[in-house]
Amino acid sequence: MTAVAPSRSHPRSRPRASAGTDPLWIRVLALTAVIGFLGGMILLPLATVFVEALSRGLQPAWEAIREHDALAALQLTLVIAAIAVPFNALFGISASWAVAKHDFPGKSLLVSLIDLPFSVSPVVAGLIYVLVFGLQGWFGPWLQAHGISIIFAVPGIVLATVFVTFPFVARELIPLMEAQGTDEEEAAVSMGASGLMTFLRVTAPNIRWGLAYGILLCNARAMGEFGAVSVVSGHIRGRTDTLPLHVEILYNEYDFVGAFAVAGLLCLMALVTLALKTLLEIARPELDSHGV
Amino acid sequence: MAYEPGEPTPAGLSEGRNLSPGRPSLPSVPRAPLAIRVEGVRKSFGRYPALDDVSLDVRPGELLALLGPSGSGKTTLLRLIAGLDFPEAGDILFDGADVTFAAAAQRGVGFVFQQYALFRHMTVAQNISFGLDVRKRGSRPSAADRKARVEALLKLVELEGLGHRRPAQLSGGQRQRVALARALAVEPRVLLLDEPFGALDATVRKSLRRELRRIHAATGVTTLFVTHDQDEALELADRVAVLNRGRIEQVGTPSEVYAAPASAFVAGFVGEANRFEGTVADGLFRSGAVRLPAPGVEGPAVAFVRPHTVRLAAGPGQPDAVAATLSRQVANGPVTRCEARLADGRDVEFVLDHAAAEALPPPGNALWLTFAVGHVFAVG
Repeated sequence: MTAVAPSRSHPRSRPRASAGTDPLWIRVLALTAVIGFLGGMILLPLATVFVEALSRGLQPAWEAIREHDALAALQLTLVIAAIAVPFNALFGISASWAVAKHDFPGKSLLVSLIDLPFSVSPVVAGLIYVLVFGLQGWFGPWLQAHGISIIFAVPGIVLATVFVTFPFVARELIPLMEAQGTDEEEAAVSMGASGLMTFLRVTAPNIRWGLAYGILLCNARAMGEFGAVSVVSGHIRGRTDTLPLHVEILYNEYDFVGAFAVAGLLCLMALVTLALKTLLEIARPELDSHGV
Repeated sequence: MAYEPGEPTPAGLSEGRNLSPGRPSLPSVPRAPLAIRVEGVRKSFGRYPALDDVSLDVRPGELLALLGPSGSGKTTLLRLIAGLDFPEAGDILFDGADVTFAAAAQRGVGFVFQQYALFRHMTVAQNISFGLDVRKRGSRPSAADRKARVEALLKLVELEGLGHRRPAQLSGGQRQRVALARALAVEPRVLLLDEPFGALDATVRKSLRRELRRIHAATGVTTLFVTHDQDEALELADRVAVLNRGRIEQVGTPSEVYAAPASAFVAGFVGEANRFEGTVADGLFRSGAVRLPAPGVEGPAVAFVRPHTVRLAAGPGQPDAVAATLSRQVANGPVTRCEARLADGRDVEFVLDHAAAEALPPPGNALWLTFAVGHVFAVG
């Protein structure tokens, strides 16, 4: 570069620290630290997954995913998410509607309860269900007598997943609904709208982006949950193995290509979620304006 | 519920005739302006009483202001009348029919919220037609009628051509107009406005005040608005109800409330006043050198003297002249506003016309004032 064309808008574009901007060296240092951390802790391991998965070429990785047990795990994971996510979306909407738009005794207790799954270790969450529904648990003998299996079967995995992903939608919606207040609902009611009409025409459109965001996060966790599901699943290959559990099994059997190939599949699903989330955030600001 | 022939039909709304057949309403049909009676209403929030035995009669078709400081219960009263809250005791009657616990939707009220509460995801036109859109099939006007009604209302509030905008794309004053149009769309029997001009700047506020008067005249609907701004209440309302600490202190025309305040609170809150504490003996209020006639009052008392009733005295010889020192004078539009300090250190404000102000000495010099009229109230 011999001749640098001067920038038109800033003839002397020397970086200067103006009021309100931190000195250049601080900015460079902070940015380097962040990029270094992200690279070392997140990007590098993510790349490792794909490198390992493809270490013997595309074919073995592809085989590992197409293998019967892997496909069964994928199917189970999708089924679990398809049950847990709608359930928690419904629960999240009702809970946040109740909390944000109404006042009742015990409200703060309810909010704390919603947060419980975030603070309890997933292993404990799994154990809870084993204690309640397992063979030695409270309802175990009765369930066995009636031929119903919950623990070490699909219903148990669904329960554990629902528990762990409980708070995502509600946590996203409660602050949003609280910020929006109840004025619009009151206006709708004063003009003669019924409760259902008010919810469908006023409340729901105002929360749709927050709801979509919460569902996305809930879905990501539902498909990726390991701890709670591991306790209740029983690891029956081809029957009660979800994708994360399948990764562990393959890894413990020293099938590294298989383990990383399935892990790669999980990563790809996560990247799709991330892309959707980014799209939502781009769409959101103009449509979800709070400033009215 | 359409406007009856012979009744004043609002100019811009003639297209709106017969648009709301069979709306479920409480008392029966003819759409004369509504009379509202509030009787012995109580409402508290926790241990804090927001309304304490409040009674009020709103005359058909009048524009009534609920005036009071924040926390006086004026918004609570408005919400009880709207059916957005319900009282613990007392009754609310619309044309004699008890609506105390009727749902907001059944009352036929139009409510304009302080922050407008426009539906942010809808256009202006969708906002205005919402109250018509949500009616049950059968009582809902046809799409063409609804559209015509929206157009007529946009014209009434002078927002023609802005129907496709979203609330976020409007100025504060325009949002206020949309809120007003939306409240009027359901042909309410009473229009309720909560601090309608609170969030607007002074210029817009002024022009919207005139606007509200015009719209009130055009629709003839009984209208209540809440305000903490005495100028707004006095300028706009047919009658003013002054509230303080959950009680109504006085109801009267703006001139009654200003010229004959019923309580010390009203005298101090409505209009400017100099406040003097003193005692009354033999019908004469004394507070230092200040004396005022106080018929019918005895013992410790407080007196309010409007700045414009204070006069300059010719000199110390004049009876009841009070010595003071001029602190400052400012020409303010058509009048001169002055501040003076009495010999005992109290400050008083007074207002003179420019001609009288020429007799003032320069600030810092002595002058003599007379306090001839005041409102005197017994204390305790």
